[in-house]
Amino acid sequence: MTESGMTFDPVQLAMDDEWIAMIRYFVRGVCVDARTLAIEDIACVGPFGDFLSLPGTLEGASEQSLPTLMDRRVHEEWCADGADDMYARAARRVEELLRDHRREPLADDTRQELAAIVSRADRERAQ
Amino acid sequence: MGEVQRNGRPTDPEPGLMIGVLSSADIDDVHAGTLSVLEETGVLVEDEAALDLFADGGCAVDRASHLVRIPAQVVDEALAACPHAGPDAGGESSLGRTEYANFDEGIFYVDPRTGERREPGKEDVAHCARLVDALPNIDSYAAAVRPRDVPAATAAIHGCEAALLETSKSVGAEATTAWEVRVCAELGACVAGGMDELRADESVSFGICPVSPLQLPREATEVIVECARLGLSDTILSMALAGGSAPVGLAGTLVVHNAEVLSGIVLAQLAGPGAPVVYGSSTTAMDLRSGAAAVGTPEIALIGVAVAQLAHRYRLPSLIAGM
Repeated sequence: MTESGMTFDPVQLAMDDEWIAMIRYFVRGVCVDARTLAIEDIACVGPFGDFLSLPGTLEGASEQSLPTLMDRRVHEEWCADGADDMYARAARRVEELLRDHRREPLADDTRQELAAIVSRADRERAQ
Repeated sequence: MGEVQRNGRPTDPEPGLMIGVLSSADIDDVHAGTLSVLEETGVLVEDEAALDLFADGGCAVDRASHLVRIPAQVVDEALAACPHAGPDAGGESSLGRTEYANFDEGIFYVDPRTGERREPGKEDVAHCARLVDALPNIDSYAAAVRPRDVPAATAAIHGCEAALLETSKSVGAEATTAWEVRVCAELGACVAGGMDELRADESVSFGICPVSPLQLPREATEVIVECARLGLSDTILSMALAGGSAPVGLAGTLVVHNAEVLSGIVLAQLAGPGAPVVYGSSTTAMDLRSGAAAVGTPEIALIGVAVAQLAHRYRLPSLIAGM
């Protein structure tokens, strides 16, 4: 919504969806257990080592926040890739979703019943 | 967008963050202030049938001025009659669950193909609902825009139909009359498989707004009463503006806001004891330089958290605007 809630912008909703994903990640907080404390990994890697090459690190990538509209690359890469801002990427997402997404369709008789209720309401009130 | 906060508390078994801006004593003060405003200042109620319900329920009703003064005991009884979130409610606990919905009731629509800001039509409603259905973090659909290419008298009904056809997530209907509530409920029951199923899955719900300060217009009371009688979920959502329709200080704004919402909850419980209600807020500050309702501001964030704490105190689910 923009203009104090006067105007609905579907592209903004797609951006909101991504921000909610980040908020949900944040409010889940920090999980502290034997696995995440990783004392053995720390001992294994030791001072001046790296954790990138540990097998568990790649597996843990799926536990990270994974934005798809925000862009974390450096400026040069972003420019070389067309320099689209978040709104432009979200607009493409909206276009794709409106084109490709459909809910599991309601049964034909349910759809007809809905249409009949609306037609009856129109006849009753819409003069 | 709106945020539905199913009440949480710090002792929840689920890990995660809880924030508060009011101390327990602050909440007591806002609640006590609210009770005194309801009992001494009162609320203005337009509709005669709603005045009857308040009078029969033990409130002091002045028929000439339409002022309703609500004793603290009536408020307490209404809050006790509400179905509560939490371990006492039985069944699945909704403590601590937060869901997200789109913001609703837009007057204009930005066409995603052209970027043009224009009046919305029924196809745009369908597109908004389809988008909500597709986006993984938007949990329910609120009536994003009112279609302007259908008869005005049945626009809410056309909007509800368009949404039900496009999303299997729950749908907020924008009824402003008892008749619209009944027809939208009929649409919802058709998809849910019956009225009992609709009551159980809340796949179509309703919402109304008092007019700040301290008024319940006919549209609000008609929908509150009809939803309560049908046993359908209704959000009572105040939209007070600090500095305009409420005191400039946020504590006083919370009192006005709370009095409006509680007056609606009292009416719902008088019309249908045990009616499911949601504590709503789109309250924020007015930007006193421009007159705009200031959303996306620290004020709406503070009010949102404070209002969630009030709803939590009353053990009610809340719907809070403003990210």
